[in-house]
Amino acid sequence: MAAIKSEGELAKLTIIKDELYETMKEHGSEEREFSQADIKALNVIPNNDTATLLKVIQALTDEKLLVGFALPGGEIRWRWRGREDARKYTSLPDEATMLVYGIIDSAGQDGVWVRHIKARANIQDATFKACIKVLETKGYITSMTNVEMPNRKMYIRADLKPSERATGGPWFTDGELDEAFIKAIEGIIFEYIKTRSAYMSRGTSVPQKLPRKGVVTGEVARGVKRTATDISHDDATPVPPTTKGVPPPRKKEMFLPMPAGYKKYPTVNEITEFIHMQKVSSAMLGVADIQALVDVLVFDGLIEPIAVNSRKGYRVVRPTKQDTLSYAKRKQEQEAHPELGEPELGPPPVSSAVTEAPCGKCPVFELCQEGGPVAPSTCVYFQEWLGLEEPAVLSGTVPP
Amino acid sequence: MLVTAPLAEFCALMIDEIYGELPSRIYASLLMRGRSTIQQLAGDTGMNARQLRHGLALLLQHNLLYYHLDTGSPQCFYEANVEHAYNLTRTGKILEMVEESFGPAAKDVMQTIILTGQARVGDLVDAYQKRIDRVNRAMEALKAEDPFGNGADSHELNGDTPPETKSEKKPDLLISSTAQLKSIICRLVDAELLDAVHKTTYESPEDLLAMFEAEILATYPGKEVKGNKAKAEYKDRVAEALRKDRSGSKSLKRKLEQNGLSAKRRKLFDGAASASGTPDGELDLGVDPNQVICINYEKCLVDLRNRRLMQFSADIIGTTTSWVYGSLLKLLSKDVSRCRDDPIIDHYEKDDERPVPVVVTTAQILDTIKTGLDLSVGLGKVDALKISTAAAEKITAQAPRKKFFIDVQAEVEGDATSDEEEEEEDVKPIMDLDYRPATNGVNGVNGTHVTSGANGVNGTSSKVKVEPRERRVDRRTQLRHHLLLLSESTQGFIRHCGVDEWTVDFEPLMRALRQVELDSAIENTAGREGIRLVRMLRAKGKLDEKAIVGICLMRKADMLKKLAEMQKAGFVQTQEVPREAKADVKKSFFLWYFDPEMALERVLDVAYKTMIHSLQVLDMLREENQVVLSLVKRTDVKGQEEGKLPKFYIDKYAQFLKHERMLLAQIHRVDDLVAVLRDY
Ligand code: SF4
Repeated sequence: MAAIKSEGELAKLTIIKDELYETMKEHGSEEREFSQADIKALNVIPNNDTATLLKVIQALTDEKLLVGFALPGGEIRWRWRGREDARKYTSLPDEATMLVYGIIDSAGQDGVWVRHIKARANIQDATFKACIKVLETKGYITSMTNVEMPNRKMYIRADLKPSERATGGPWFTDGELDEAFIKAIEGIIFEYIKTRSAYMSRGTSVPQKLPRKGVVTGEVARGVKRTATDISHDDATPVPPTTKGVPPPRKKEMFLPMPAGYKKYPTVNEITEFIHMQKVSSAMLGVADIQALVDVLVFDGLIEPIAVNSRKGYRVVRPTKQDTLSYAKRKQEQEAHPELGEPELGPPPVSSAVTEAPCGKCPVFELCQEGGPVAPSTCVYFQEWLGLEEPAVLSGTVPP
Repeated sequence: MLVTAPLAEFCALMIDEIYGELPSRIYASLLMRGRSTIQQLAGDTGMNARQLRHGLALLLQHNLLYYHLDTGSPQCFYEANVEHAYNLTRTGKILEMVEESFGPAAKDVMQTIILTGQARVGDLVDAYQKRIDRVNRAMEALKAEDPFGNGADSHELNGDTPPETKSEKKPDLLISSTAQLKSIICRLVDAELLDAVHKTTYESPEDLLAMFEAEILATYPGKEVKGNKAKAEYKDRVAEALRKDRSGSKSLKRKLEQNGLSAKRRKLFDGAASASGTPDGELDLGVDPNQVICINYEKCLVDLRNRRLMQFSADIIGTTTSWVYGSLLKLLSKDVSRCRDDPIIDHYEKDDERPVPVVVTTAQILDTIKTGLDLSVGLGKVDALKISTAAAEKITAQAPRKKFFIDVQAEVEGDATSDEEEEEEDVKPIMDLDYRPATNGVNGVNGTHVTSGANGVNGTSSKVKVEPRERRVDRRTQLRHHLLLLSESTQGFIRHCGVDEWTVDFEPLMRALRQVELDSAIENTAGREGIRLVRMLRAKGKLDEKAIVGICLMRKADMLKKLAEMQKAGFVQTQEVPREAKADVKKSFFLWYFDPEMALERVLDVAYKTMIHSLQVLDMLREENQVVLSLVKRTDVKGQEEGKLPKFYIDKYAQFLKHERMLLAQIHRVDDLVAVLRDY
């Protein structure tokens, strides 16, 4: 008797249940949170009977078609879940696995750290491992890395792509910073800015430095490391040529600065567009991504922002010191002659007086003192710098 | 100047290098002990009175000491003058600078004055007269006889010249008459490179301040300054008294000006340092033979700074522009007496009393630019339509107030002129910066090159190639292009402060240059990635690891390694931020930041030590080559090394000279850096 009654009721319940589920789906996405009042207002439950309502909800929850969760105040809300997804749950062997899957599922694109899963599910390590194994073999979840916390073992639903925050954006491949890719794009951007923010002069007459009077120069063989004397002469104040002494004009390619008020210094938008047109990468590089790279170039001291009126563009620094060969060309050259070394963007850094002398780069600088364990008078670095690999041989006999 | 231990050590070494051990020991003791009396010095150094007196006199002669005698006190206090001791390093540079701007004869005079420390004008004249007489006699002897037996050196510098050429050179003495000498002295005084020694020259700045403070305080009732207003007034009065005292050394220049000589002299001698045959009597007016003169390092530094700034602009913009800049700086700094204002002396209560910055006009610059300089080169050639005149010609009447730094996020302060509006006003072809091509047709290669006709009112004449001659823009316009470029620079080389008026805000500009020097020191130590992190922290302030890794596009491990490396080198700092009230190092997180002051101190420290080490290495080399060096000093060998010494020694000597030159050149280079970081 009771069974029949419950059987009838069961059928009825099933109908109501399906109807409620479909109605909820009509009323919003999987993200929508339904309160009890919301569900009642759907007018699916006959007479809005709370007991029936609770039974239906229970049934749906059991089938994993509804997900219930408590708000901070204790009130309970529900979201619906697609049948496909729900089937994944129901296909799982036990509660623990379901629980684990539920935690991973709710983490969405960000994925979740193993430790957090364990803590939240509150299960034994062995059980946890078993659960993960089941889920992995079924192909429901997959492990992932988060660039912000690369050491954490994390899981994500297998059918989801890790969020940009987790992957670190287009500059990352498999959770690793893709340095080669960055270098390549940097090179393209830098060349673009260089050629558009400086004027390539072909064969202008460059006033030559005149040799200055009274300069003592030692004969230093070519290819030998330049001495401090040479360097100090390099940047000695240039002397303007006099009318008589102008040397014959020399043809030389070089970059020159643009005149003041130049309006076409490339902006980040233009750079982004250019990169898109080059089709260098399948990854979508947005303006923000390019801006990040441009900022790095600014920090590297290769380019500088320059505002002309309200237009903010970028230009290359020290234009006359730039290599007239493009980065790509230099790269090719390097491939042909590996001994040249990896080409750097832009000109070499301005030399600094302290690092020219051995002390500026000395590993034992802090210890060095006359009378100490390391002392200038016995310093091997200075010997080398002076071109005396070995201590000078002391002189022998005195001449007549 | 903050006297750190390495700086003190370097100064003592420098004095040892130039004046020998005895003065150096006294000097070192003064540096270590602070101001001392002669008795205290005797106790500290263990020297006898004769040695001490000798050493002190030598140091005083070369302006390396301050002394102070309290009225009524029997004791005189001596104190080390670190600034002048350090400036000994710069002698070579100063001489070079003088030679460049005033000619070799002026350099010779300057050198003599530096070598003697300070000199009475009369004595200088006598000395030079003697020298001239001697040469004249030698000349006569030369005429009469074969050239031989020329023992006397005309000139300190030419120790290495073989005797034959020496005698040939003798006829053209740099200074051929005392009149010329006096005129040179006048010119150097006029340029403020020479100063009069006056009664407070030997007071240390602290003593001077205390003196004037006491003096002025005495005029207040109860010897007390009460109330804010009175305090401000007091401060002002002290500053004024100090300023007045400071100008005491300019008495010579003032006298020259009163006599109206300086202007005349400038006219007479401009560009022709060797001009002779000027009537003697006229030039005697200016200089009192009893006046004692010495070198004014403050002003020398201003001129050296100009040279450095010129180099800076050549590096950032280009050589042609840097020459324009050099001319501008030279004009501008005629009235700049020192690189940095003194916080006490150059303090003005009211802003309107402050001296206004010096301004130069385009016309003035045009007047001084060397005629041989081709102003048409050094700039890109661009279609006038791509230039915004409004932006280029922007006038900034006020000096920048806020802190100046090159910020990535530099806000675009918008005058919201839309591009359209500009197009119209920009139509006139102001920017036809043409190049006279080196060879015909070179410009033709450049297909995209568009020029507007010289008379073009609008863009219609573009794509028309005009003969190079016709496209020439007048010199003034070319000059302005360079000036505008300088004023547009992010470093702030010049400020376009009025129509065709230009000035330089040295403070922010030097800050920019200091930053460049610091950055280059860091980049050369920590590489491009290191400097990237430093600039990032400078622009963004304190950041934690996560924030940094988000911006720097480096692998986290690499980044942490680099940061740790730079922290060890003293370039970046960390701050611990505890998570809880109870600090626990393990739980705290760390913020990284860049402190420019600390980095600067660090680089200065390395710089001083590098110089010390270089001097010590030089000492070591001298010791090693002692045999050779003592040989070449022998009077029977000197000047004839080639003939008298075996090749082995000659080679060794040559090698030693080369090394000495390398080491000294390196010290000069490091000093350039020190100057930028500390003095300019
Ligand atoms: S060991 Fe040599 S290189 Fe190192 S600090 Fe000393 S002198 Fe300089």
